[in-house]
Amino acid sequence: MTIRHFAATTLPGSTSQLGERRGASGFPSPADDYQEAPLDLNHYLIPRPASTFFMRVSGDTLNDAGFHEGDLLIVDRSQRAMPGQWLVAVVNGELALYRLEGQGSRWWLRGGDSRQACLPLEGNDDYRIWGLVCHVIHDCRRPC
Amino acid sequence: MYALIDCNNFFVSCERLFDPALEGVPVGVLSNNDGCVIARSEELKAIGVAMGIPAHKIPVAQRQKLVLKSSNYALYGDLSGRVQRVLAQHVPALEPYSIDECFLDLRGMNGDLENLGRDLVKRVEREVGLPVSLGIAPTRTLAKLANHQAKRMPGRPQVCTWPDAASPALDHYLHRLPVKEVWGIGARLALQLGDLKISTAAALRDAPEPWLRKRFSVVVARTARELKGTACMEAQDLESPRRSILCSRSFGRLLNDPGQLSEALRHHCQRAGEKLRRDGMLAGAVGVFLRTSRHNPGPQQHHPLWTSLSFASADTVRLNRQAQRLLERLWRPGYAYQKMGVMLSELSPRRHSQPSLLDGCEPVRQEALMQAWDVIRQRYGREALTLGVQQQQSAWRMNSRHRSAGYTTRWDELPSVRSG
Repeated sequence: MTIRHFAATTLPGSTSQLGERRGASGFPSPADDYQEAPLDLNHYLIPRPASTFFMRVSGDTLNDAGFHEGDLLIVDRSQRAMPGQWLVAVVNGELALYRLEGQGSRWWLRGGDSRQACLPLEGNDDYRIWGLVCHVIHDCRRPC
Repeated sequence: MYALIDCNNFFVSCERLFDPALEGVPVGVLSNNDGCVIARSEELKAIGVAMGIPAHKIPVAQRQKLVLKSSNYALYGDLSGRVQRVLAQHVPALEPYSIDECFLDLRGMNGDLENLGRDLVKRVEREVGLPVSLGIAPTRTLAKLANHQAKRMPGRPQVCTWPDAASPALDHYLHRLPVKEVWGIGARLALQLGDLKISTAAALRDAPEPWLRKRFSVVVARTARELKGTACMEAQDLESPRRSILCSRSFGRLLNDPGQLSEALRHHCQRAGEKLRRDGMLAGAVGVFLRTSRHNPGPQQHHPLWTSLSFASADTVRLNRQAQRLLERLWRPGYAYQKMGVMLSELSPRRHSQPSLLDGCEPVRQEALMQAWDVIRQRYGREALTLGVQQQQSAWRMNSRHRSAGYTTRWDELPSVRSG
């Protein structure tokens, strides 16, 4: 048995923080006045982490629309979808990609496959919509 | 005023969120090592599958009609944290009470609380995707009962508000409520109270407090006062013995030092372990939360992390080891922490514990050690023997054949979305 208090250095992310940086002499570096926080993709892609989920695209039916097999979807449940936007919907017990379309008070979901009939959204059929697809991340090194 | 928000059939709802095919189907979630049913969908309750029944005892004919899932604490913990994050955006103070329940301190909030409650429920349901119910009342004990009422409401959102503890409707309700339904009053205590003609919640409320304190305990007397509408209990006083244990405390000042946090956590684990053994229970899952202060500028952190144990345990050493590991993952440099707590869940009675072939069960040696531990601390004081030692972890495996994916915690297990 060993007595083990964990030290700050063993914890993840315990490197020095912005604003605490010191020069070799121990004096604050003159560059400190010009520091800006590094760009953080989390802020850009995931402004609402509590309601944001990641998913993967399966299938190649929507290649023309820019969704390829294995692409990463960033889906936000807190945002209302507008016509023309893509969303994840629950259809036949599955999560599937659809585009919201609408005219007047009539709304429907259209899949990528043109043979597929449009799914009308009645007033109380909101449960079909799982979340709004905000971003799709494609790994350009992968063949598609 | 206080509110209690509770996720309906939490584990099942989590499973359904990413696997909509489970919607409308009888679904059960099993304890660690696929032992007993610990969560049931409404459909499963309807066909008469009891809570706590060992999976292998469900009749074969019935088993074909239902879906059993292994518990997936990484998923449940993540979603539980999301629920709390959403709530934290709208109320000044929340107290996580268990993995699926959270108290909201609404003191000082003006305006229509019923409306606020409805808005909170709708937000959580839409943004996280889990059905929740909410009870609002002047005390935590009453809020818990209000929540119970909300769950029975048809339609959504399920919110029940009792703004006034003296209202005739609430009085009527308490007269009909068996005393054992009141939080903190277990079956045994209810029997003793019943012998003294206190069989309803209203009778407990109206019993003289000094007498209750003398005859039973301070907690029972406080429960009576809470039923009258005077808040006098903390969330952790209200633990229900069968569901979860919570040990938490605010720090004297804001803290970030890992050594001190680790020490505080050891302290909480010791208390949680003692509570667990006092009740004759074993825990299957451990959660830890670290909370920053709302009143302090700077980054905020609320959500807890959970992990499940390979076999249910009441061993303080083991609980602490898991908890410390969670703390290492929670800790962020530069954050000013105000409060920390440890939560134990998936409680099962020690005498029903199911040894697993692969992972075994609590070694007899550890049980004896914990007995000696409790005796020494009782006789010579809590400071006489404390936990300052951590053992090396042993590799462990879990029997969880029906576990869903790490939908929110693993890149290689994300839910897949069919295109077209």
